[in-house]
Amino acid sequence: MNAERRIWGQLRDDPAGLAGLVVVGLFLLVAMAVWLGLIGQDWSAADGARWETPGPDHWFGTNILGQDIFERAIYSVRTAFEIGLVVAVSSTLLGALLGALAGWYSHSWVDGAILWLKGVLDSIPFYLFVAAVAFALQGKGWAMHVAMIATFWTTTGRLVRAEVMKLKTREFVLAARTIGLPDALILGRHVLPNTIHILLVQASIAFVAAIKTEVILSFLGLGVQDGVSWGLMLAESTQEVLAGHFSNFLAASLMLFALLMGFNLLADALQDAFDPKQASQ
Amino acid sequence: MKSPVLAVRDLSVFLQDGGQPRAVVDTISFELHEGEILALVGESGCGKTKTAEALMGLVPTAAGSIELCGTNLAALPEARLRRVRGRDISMVFQEPLTALDPVFRTGNQIADVFRRHRGLGRAEARRAALEMLQRVGFADAGHVLRSYPHELSGGMRQRVVIAMAMACRPRVLVADEPTTALDVTTQAQVLARLTEMAGEAGTAILLITHDLGIVAHYCDRAAVMRMGRIVEQAGVDQLFAQPQHPYTAALLGAARGNLLS
Amino acid sequence: MLYALRKAVYGLLLILGVTFISFVLMVWFGPDQTYTLVGKNASAEQIAEVRHQLGYDQPFMQRYLDYVTDLFTLRLGSSNASGEQVSRILARTVPVSLALMLPGFVLGNLLGIALGLAAARRRGQWADRLISALSVTGMSISFLVIVIALQVLLSTPYGLNLFPVRGWQVTDLPSYLSYVAVPTLSLVLVTLGYNTRFYRAIFVEEAARDHIRTARAFGASPTVVMWKHVLKNSLVPIITRVMFSIPLVVISGSLLIESYFGIPGVGKVAFDAITSGDQPVLKAVVGLTAAAFVLIQIATDLLYRLVDPRVA
Ligand SMILES: Nc1ncnc2c1ncn2[C@@H]1O[C@H](COP(=O)(O)OP(=O)(O)OP(=O)(O)O)[C@@H](O)[C@H]1O
Ligand SMILES: [Mg+2]
Repeated sequence: MNAERRIWGQLRDDPAGLAGLVVVGLFLLVAMAVWLGLIGQDWSAADGARWETPGPDHWFGTNILGQDIFERAIYSVRTAFEIGLVVAVSSTLLGALLGALAGWYSHSWVDGAILWLKGVLDSIPFYLFVAAVAFALQGKGWAMHVAMIATFWTTTGRLVRAEVMKLKTREFVLAARTIGLPDALILGRHVLPNTIHILLVQASIAFVAAIKTEVILSFLGLGVQDGVSWGLMLAESTQEVLAGHFSNFLAASLMLFALLMGFNLLADALQDAFDPKQASQ
Repeated sequence: MKSPVLAVRDLSVFLQDGGQPRAVVDTISFELHEGEILALVGESGCGKTKTAEALMGLVPTAAGSIELCGTNLAALPEARLRRVRGRDISMVFQEPLTALDPVFRTGNQIADVFRRHRGLGRAEARRAALEMLQRVGFADAGHVLRSYPHELSGGMRQRVVIAMAMACRPRVLVADEPTTALDVTTQAQVLARLTEMAGEAGTAILLITHDLGIVAHYCDRAAVMRMGRIVEQAGVDQLFAQPQHPYTAALLGAARGNLLS
Repeated sequence: MLYALRKAVYGLLLILGVTFISFVLMVWFGPDQTYTLVGKNASAEQIAEVRHQLGYDQPFMQRYLDYVTDLFTLRLGSSNASGEQVSRILARTVPVSLALMLPGFVLGNLLGIALGLAAARRRGQWADRLISALSVTGMSISFLVIVIALQVLLSTPYGLNLFPVRGWQVTDLPSYLSYVAVPTLSLVLVTLGYNTRFYRAIFVEEAARDHIRTARAFGASPTVVMWKHVLKNSLVPIITRVMFSIPLVVISGSLLIESYFGIPGVGKVAFDAITSGDQPVLKAVVGLTAAAFVLIQIATDLLYRLVDPRVA
């Protein structure tokens, strides 16, 4: 497709965006290697002494239980991608669906109901909401996913709604309606594909938000329930740093930063590539 | 002949347009004499507005020299240029609806020009603004002074801009299609007021338009612009009688066609 | 009049929505308090008695209606955990949270506006790029990382050791400043990247308007253009952002900071109420937050009229 090639060309001329893509790609490779069981499998083995300093046996040292921090940080890449992908994809799809419905039936009761739901979700303090969901789901591991998906879709929904309202008046949509195609078909075939630029950017933003939220939730004890994540490592480190053990903190925060920075740069580059007018400003 | 108030030599404006820079104004030269009204005509998109903005020093990517009363504006540092803008050379814009700041009262916007360039105090500047509004033909100038732009019609807003532009009796006024956005009766009113005030102040006008009727009625000379270049310059009578460039002839022909139909 | 009516209806629907969702989540699905209250070896009657007191024996809709009625009549009840009146608890904790969060919130926005203006004014130049790059960097650092790093750097012997590590023993201005310093700095650093980016985008858009060219053509300096014309024209989106983030910052933001530094504010109280199932406290916090949102919406509409003459 022509647009695809243009966007790819734009991305190639954007060193920061390209760097972001490379970083995200590297992390994805690591995540897949963990999935395949190639690396990071010894994250829970307590085979060292407590708080060992970095050395040949334990590259990043060990934590309070003698677990290898490098292994844990690597395994956490997988955790991050699981959370990020699930939340980004689901919340973006939900936002696309509800936003498209609201925009297509704008100013009807459907639109009103969706806007009301968005207003309600936006007015509940987020961490209270997550905490409540976590408790409602009785400590299930995916409680935090549900909570994030239920709240993250609203931004995508608002943007898609506005875009669909614009698209609705365009000729190709009017033509499709004139020849009597069903609404669902027009929406799915002609309208939603034209919001892909919003969806891609929003998905990468949601990915970042999901990973950042996981950190906070894990600190609050509402995040990852079994397994390990950068959030759990940071939560562990809150006590350790006061005693002068920085390995956990540094490993988790640096890897977290690299992945988030990569995604943010990628999201920016995508936004610029889709909207050259805005980019040149 | 006296030396011109404005002498433009080899003025170019470059714009980034999807990759390589493109000259939307291409080495144009012209002169403007005291009290003269020079028309700059040409079709939409030929670079008239960019020329005007370049004369005001508003486009960073311009080249060439712009001598206003012997001073080359193009070589002035930005801080010096600011003292010239709106005082010695000023501009009236193509779109009166968006030219004024929507969140400030019109009176304040005119008064700002007096405070900045004439160093007047708040009350004096306000009085001067009121007087300017009366001079551009507002019977209820006091009311206009306290209005916000959105409370005024297009023609009224354009007169407010003219009041700002003429506030410091500039040597040169660049009027960028000052009446294109207005309806016909308002057009005549606004142009008459504009040329009258310029005549009193001895201000020379570069009147940008694509309306040859306006050229014939108000202007002394005309420069014809096409795709960023000036293709012909002549006295108005001569230009209408004997167009030298085929484009000018075509332009005149189209205008006559319009008149007939 | 019609406008006010619409606002009122909308506000009411919003409050009902928020309270309903929170009721379902926090009360219906929330932790069961019976056994923490009755003590060991309670008889069946005692259990039934406690359940009746807590309203657990009522049908769902009845319990929701009771909740909403209590909320609208401001009968907030007493905490199940401590027995303290909820209104007392709020009166004690809300001021702490405000004192804790306000400086960072205000500073974060003011700095964001200043940096956004500086970047928009030098659009495309190196200063703009630097500010944008720093914003993205800031957006890529986790709240928790910033809090931990600042605590180590400023409050421990491994760093400068200037401020208390945690807690809130505020008695006078100097003690307030020493306890509020690290949380404030954290909040500023966490929000600055997002704020700067948001404000820069608005300012860039406003700086491209026709009337900005007019101001420049009449000799306005870049400083006047940015701080007067661009800023005043951007007030509507600025007000929107600031106003609507107040409740979220005060509740969600304070929850994190208060949990981390062990500060007895409303965020911590609310969080503890969720984990312990202290429903009277929860109901009050969520309901009042929703009400605050509605009030803020009204206040925001009024502010729009103040700053933009076009808003009728
Ligand atoms: N921001 C911009 N970026 C790229 N090209 C531009 C930009 N602004 C104007 N142009 C191009 O510059 C050329 C000259 O524009 P200009 O506004 O000076 O035309 P004009 O003669 O004033 O037209 P009109 O009579 O419609 O006002 C046009 O071809 C236009 O496409
Ligand atoms: Mg023009």
